[in-house]
Amino acid sequence: MPVMFINDQPVDTGEHRTVLQVALANGFYVPHFCWHPELSIVGNCRVCVVEQEGRGVGIACNMPVAEGLRIQTESEPVRAQRKAMLQFILLNHPVDCGICDKAGECTLQDYHYAYNGAPALSHEPKLHSTKFFPLSERIILDNERCILCSRCVRFTREISKSNVLGMEQRGDGMRVRPVEDRTLDDDPYSDNVIDLCPVGALLSRSFQYQARVWYLEPTASVCPGCARGCTVQLWHRRHEWRLKGLDGSHNERILRVTPLENPRVNGAWICNKGRDLGALFGRPRAGQALLKGRPVLLAEAIDAARRLVRGAGRRVALVSSWGSNEELRAFRNALADRFTSFVKADHRPGEGEVVEDDLLIRADKNPNTHAAQALFGNAPADIPDDTELVLVWGEGADFSTLPRGAKIVHLGAWLQPENGYADVFIPISIQTERHGHYTSFEGVVSAFEPCQRRPEGVIDAETLFPLLAAPPGSDT
Amino acid sequence: MPGRKVLMDFEVTPDSHSLAAYRARGGYQALEKALRTMQPREVTQEIVDSGLQGRGGAAFPAGRKWQGIDPDDGQPHYLIANADEGEPGTFKDRWVLEYNPHALLESMLLASYALGVRHAFVYIRGEYDIPWRRLDAAVEEAYGEGLFGEDILGSGFSCDLFVFRGAGAYVCGEASSLLGSIEGSRAYPRNRPPRMTVRGLYQAPTVVNNVETLATIAWILRNGAAAFRAIGTERSPGTRLISVSGHIRNPGVYEVELGYSWAKFLHEDCGGLLCNKPLKAVIPGGISSQVLTGKDAKVLTAEEVECLTLDHEKLRSAGSSLGSGGMIVIAEGTCMVRLLQIMLRFYHHESCGQCTPCREGTGWMHRVIDRIVAGEGRPEDIDTLHHVARYNDGTTICGLGDAAGYAATAMLDNFRDEFEYFIEHGRSKFGGNLECR
Amino acid sequence: MKHLIPEFEHLKKRLPPGHDATLLVPCLRRVQEDRGFIADSDIDGLVEYLGVPRIQIEEVLSFYGMLRRAPIGRWHLQVCHNVSCSMRGAERLLDDLTGRLGIQPGETTPDRRFTLSTVECLGSCGTAPVLMVNEAYHENLSAADLDALLERLD
Ligand SMILES: Cc1cc2nc3c(=O)[nH]c(=O)nc-3n(C[C@H](O)[C@H](O)[C@H](O)COP(=O)(O)O)c2cc1C
Ligand code: SF4
Ligand code: SF4
Ligand code: SF4
Ligand code: FES
Repeated sequence: MPVMFINDQPVDTGEHRTVLQVALANGFYVPHFCWHPELSIVGNCRVCVVEQEGRGVGIACNMPVAEGLRIQTESEPVRAQRKAMLQFILLNHPVDCGICDKAGECTLQDYHYAYNGAPALSHEPKLHSTKFFPLSERIILDNERCILCSRCVRFTREISKSNVLGMEQRGDGMRVRPVEDRTLDDDPYSDNVIDLCPVGALLSRSFQYQARVWYLEPTASVCPGCARGCTVQLWHRRHEWRLKGLDGSHNERILRVTPLENPRVNGAWICNKGRDLGALFGRPRAGQALLKGRPVLLAEAIDAARRLVRGAGRRVALVSSWGSNEELRAFRNALADRFTSFVKADHRPGEGEVVEDDLLIRADKNPNTHAAQALFGNAPADIPDDTELVLVWGEGADFSTLPRGAKIVHLGAWLQPENGYADVFIPISIQTERHGHYTSFEGVVSAFEPCQRRPEGVIDAETLFPLLAAPPGSDT
Repeated sequence: MPGRKVLMDFEVTPDSHSLAAYRARGGYQALEKALRTMQPREVTQEIVDSGLQGRGGAAFPAGRKWQGIDPDDGQPHYLIANADEGEPGTFKDRWVLEYNPHALLESMLLASYALGVRHAFVYIRGEYDIPWRRLDAAVEEAYGEGLFGEDILGSGFSCDLFVFRGAGAYVCGEASSLLGSIEGSRAYPRNRPPRMTVRGLYQAPTVVNNVETLATIAWILRNGAAAFRAIGTERSPGTRLISVSGHIRNPGVYEVELGYSWAKFLHEDCGGLLCNKPLKAVIPGGISSQVLTGKDAKVLTAEEVECLTLDHEKLRSAGSSLGSGGMIVIAEGTCMVRLLQIMLRFYHHESCGQCTPCREGTGWMHRVIDRIVAGEGRPEDIDTLHHVARYNDGTTICGLGDAAGYAATAMLDNFRDEFEYFIEHGRSKFGGNLECR
Repeated sequence: MKHLIPEFEHLKKRLPPGHDATLLVPCLRRVQEDRGFIADSDIDGLVEYLGVPRIQIEEVLSFYGMLRRAPIGRWHLQVCHNVSCSMRGAERLLDDLTGRLGIQPGETTPDRRFTLSTVECLGSCGTAPVLMVNEAYHENLSAADLDALLERLD
C-alpha cells in the first residue's frame, strides 16, 4: 500500500485516489464545498487547499495520491488562501442566517467560524438575486445564498438523471435554474439536493420555518416505503427542548426525514417518499380495541381473539409485510401452527407514484416482504370458502373478499372504517414507537429505533402474539 | 524589415491565399514528403528538434506537448487548432487565416499524421467572419484535391477536418474550455490533472495548439529543424507574428525574428508613436500576457522597452512575456486607471463563473475601480485591489483569473501614483485620456 | 429548424461518429442565422435531433454572448470598447451612436431598425475603432464613414 505523509504523519492511502479522500479517511479534516463522494469532481469552490511540499498550494479534491507525497493541511499559505476563498464566497452572500433554515448546520457558517472569522473586506454593495424561487411543490431556491458549487446540478445530471437543474449565464451573474419546461417535481429524488446544498439555498417547503435545527435531534430508522429499506433519520424535538404548555404532539412530530448514509443499501440518498414519512406516520391512529365496532378494554378484545384462535375449523392468517423481523418471528413461534399463513402486501403503488427505477425505488412498496416470505413462503393468498377465522395483520386486506362465514380478527394501527367490521379489532403500535429490524429485498437487515411514545391502549404485536396463543382467561 | 520570415515569406496578392498560390510557393511538398518517407514519430522528433514554442501565450515547447501522445496506443486522438483569438490586442492568427490558410491546413495534416489523428478541428472565434470564409474556402479546396478525407495522396492516411465556430466567449480560447464547447456543453475550463494529452476531447488524448504554432510546422518540415533553429535566438528559435495596436503610427501584424531589437521595431518598423508622443508603457503580449507562465508584471515601462529584444527569455527576465503577441503601445498622457478599468471590466465580463476567486474577484475589482473612476475611491482601495489580485493568482482553474490578477498588480505597481492621485482628487491625473490627441 | 436538418447531416460527415452533441453550437448558430434568434420550438427540435437534454441546451445558450432567444433590430451594431479600440476612439464612436440613435447599448430603436451593443475585443485592434454590423466588420471607422454607413442601413 502506498504511503504518504499528512502533516508529517505517515498515512496509508488505501483505495483512495485523491489527497482529499485520504486526508478525510485519516482524520485530517480538509474543508470542502463542491466535492462530494458520490458526485464527479469539479474543483470549483477552491476551498479544499493543501500544501504539497515543494510544489505549493493546490486543491486536494483533484490532487492524485502518490507514494511519498508530503502534504500540509494547516500551513500558513494554506490558511491564508483558504481564508481568502471564504471571503470571496461571502462577497455577495446575504448572510441572512437569522432567517435561514440551514443556520446551525450550514457548512459556510461552520467554515466561517473555523477558518475565517474576519469582518468583510468589501465596501461594495452586494449583488442581489432571486430569493424564494419555486423549484417545485417541495423546494424553493434562494439564489442569493447559493455559492454555485453545482452539487445540485450534478446530482440531477449524474445521480437522479432528471436533468432538471442547470446553470444559466456566466461569471457572477451565473444562477441555478430549472429547465424551462419542467420542475423538480419530475424528480422523485429531488429532496436530496436540500441535504447536498452546503448552504441554505435549497430549502424544503414542508420544513421551512418549522424549527431551528439545534432544537432537533435524529432517530435512526428504516423507510418502510418500499423493499429497498433505505436507512433514514427521523428528526424531532430534542428532549431537553420539549415545549411545555403546547399540544404535546408537537414534541413528538417528525419534522423532517434525511438519509442515514448507508453504503450497503441506499448510499447517501433516499427518494421523496421517504422524505414524507412524517405524514405517513402522522395519519390518525387507532387507539381503541373493538368488538364488532363496540369499544372494549384491550384485555377483553384479546380474550375474545384467544377464543377464536382456539376454536375448531380452518384458520388463515394474512401476515403483514410491515411487521419487523422480531414480530414475524414472534408470530411464527406463537401462532404459526394454528394458521395457514400467507404474506400480504400491506401497501401497493399509489396513484402517480414511481413504481420502480434503476436507482432505489422498488415495486414492492413494503419494507419486510423478504423476511416475511422467508418464514411464511411466497404463495399467493388462497383462502378456502369454509374458513372459519381470518387473522388480518396490518393494512391492505380487502375484507369484502374474505369468506362470508369467517370471523375476522384484525390487528391494525390506523383509524380505518374496516376496524369496525372486524369481529375483534386490536390496535397495535407502529415502527416509530418500538425497536425493530427490517430485511431489505437484498437481504440486508437494518434497525429502527423509537422516537414516539406508544399511545395508551395500544399493544406491540410482538407482545400480543404470545398472549393470543395462551388459553382464554390467562393474564394479559 | 524585422528579420527573416517563416509565415509571411511571400507577397500578399488578391489570390495569394489560394491553394494554387500556396502550391506555387512550395506548399504541400512537406506533406507529400512526410507521408512517403517519414514515420509519424519522426515528424514529432523534427518538431522537438526545431525547439518550436507555443505561440498561444505560454510558449510551451510544441514537440514536448506532442510527445505526450503515443500515436500507436490504439485510442482515438484529436488535434485542435486554437483560432479563438480573443486576447485583447491580438489579431495575428487572423492574418494566418486570411492570408496563409493553407499553411495551417498542411501543418494540421502533418501534425495529425504525427499524432495518429483521424479527426482534427479548428476552433475559430464566433465573430470572425472573413477569416472564417477564407479558411472554409481553403478547406473545401483541400478536400477537393484529396488533401483531406480518406487515403490522402494514396498514403493510406485518412484525416477529416471540422471547422468549429465559437459563439462569443473569450474563455473558449483556454484550451480545455474549448473542448467543452466542442462537446456541446458549457465551455468550462478543466482542472489538471488529467492533462489534455491524457484525457481531452471526448475523454481521448488531445493536442491543442495555437494557429500560429501549427502553421509553422509545414515550414519546419519543408526546410528542416536546423534551418528553423538558425532563425531567432538560441532559446527562442524562429519568428513571431506580432500584432501591434494602440498609439502607434503603423499598427498591424508583423513577423519579427525573435531576438530583434524592440526599440528598432517600434520606432522604425512600426513608424514610431502617434502624435510623436514619448512612450509610456507597452503591454507586450495581449492584456493577459502572463496567462500561463509567470507571476510577473506585464506592463513594460518606456525605459525597459528601449533596451529589450523581442524574445521569450529576455521578456521573462524583464518581468513580462511575449504572450499572445498582441502588443499594445501606450503613449505618455494616457490614463492608466481608465485602462485598467477597461481590462477589469473585460475579465469580469468574460469570467466563466465556475470557480470562486475569479467569479467573485473579477467582479469585486471591477466594482472597486468603477467607483474610483466615478471619483469615489477610498485610500484602502489600492490595498483591496492588491489583495484580490493576489488571491486571484494561482488559485483558479484557468489562467483567466490569474490574468485579471496580474493586470491589476502590474498597473498598480508601475503606476501607483496615478491611482493615488485619482483617489485623492476624485479625478484622473490625465483627464481620463485614453486616446492620443 | 427541421428544414435545416439536411445541412446538419452534411456537417456530421466530418465529425467522428457518436458525438452528435458537438453539433449543438453549430446548429444553434445556424438556426439563429435562419430565424434571427433561437425559438423554443428550435430548442425542442434540437433536443430531439441531437438527443441532448433540454437543460444542456439552455445552459449553453446563456453562456455565449452571440446567441439570443429573442429577435433584435434589423441591424445589430456592435462597438468594440476594449483597450485598443478605446485608445483609438471607440468611446467617441459609441457616444456618437447613442446620440444619433437615441438608444443606449443593449437597446433597440423603436422602429426596430437598429440594436446597439458593446462588445469586448473583436480582434480588430490594428484597424481600430471597429463597428460590427451584423456579421461584417467595419474597421478604421471615422465619423464620416459612420455617416455613410448608417445611410446605407435601412
Ligand atoms: C483565458 C485564456 C484565453 C486563452 N485564449 C487563447 C486564444 O485565444 N488563442 C490561443 O491560441 N491560446 C489561448 N490561450 C492559451 C491556450 O490555453 C493554450 O495554451 C494554447 O492554445 C496552446 O497552444 P500553444 O502551445 O501552441 O501556444 C488562452 C488561455 C487562457 C487561460
Ligand atoms: S443551490 Fe446549493 S447545491 Fe446548488 S449550486 Fe447553489 S450552493 Fe451548490
Ligand atoms: S427508495 Fe424506497 S425505501 Fe428508499 S426512501 Fe424511497 S420509498 Fe423509502
Ligand atoms: S479562472 Fe475564471 S474563467 Fe477560469 S475557470 Fe475559473 S471562473 Fe472560469
Ligand atoms: S472541494 Fe476541492 S475545490 Fe471544492
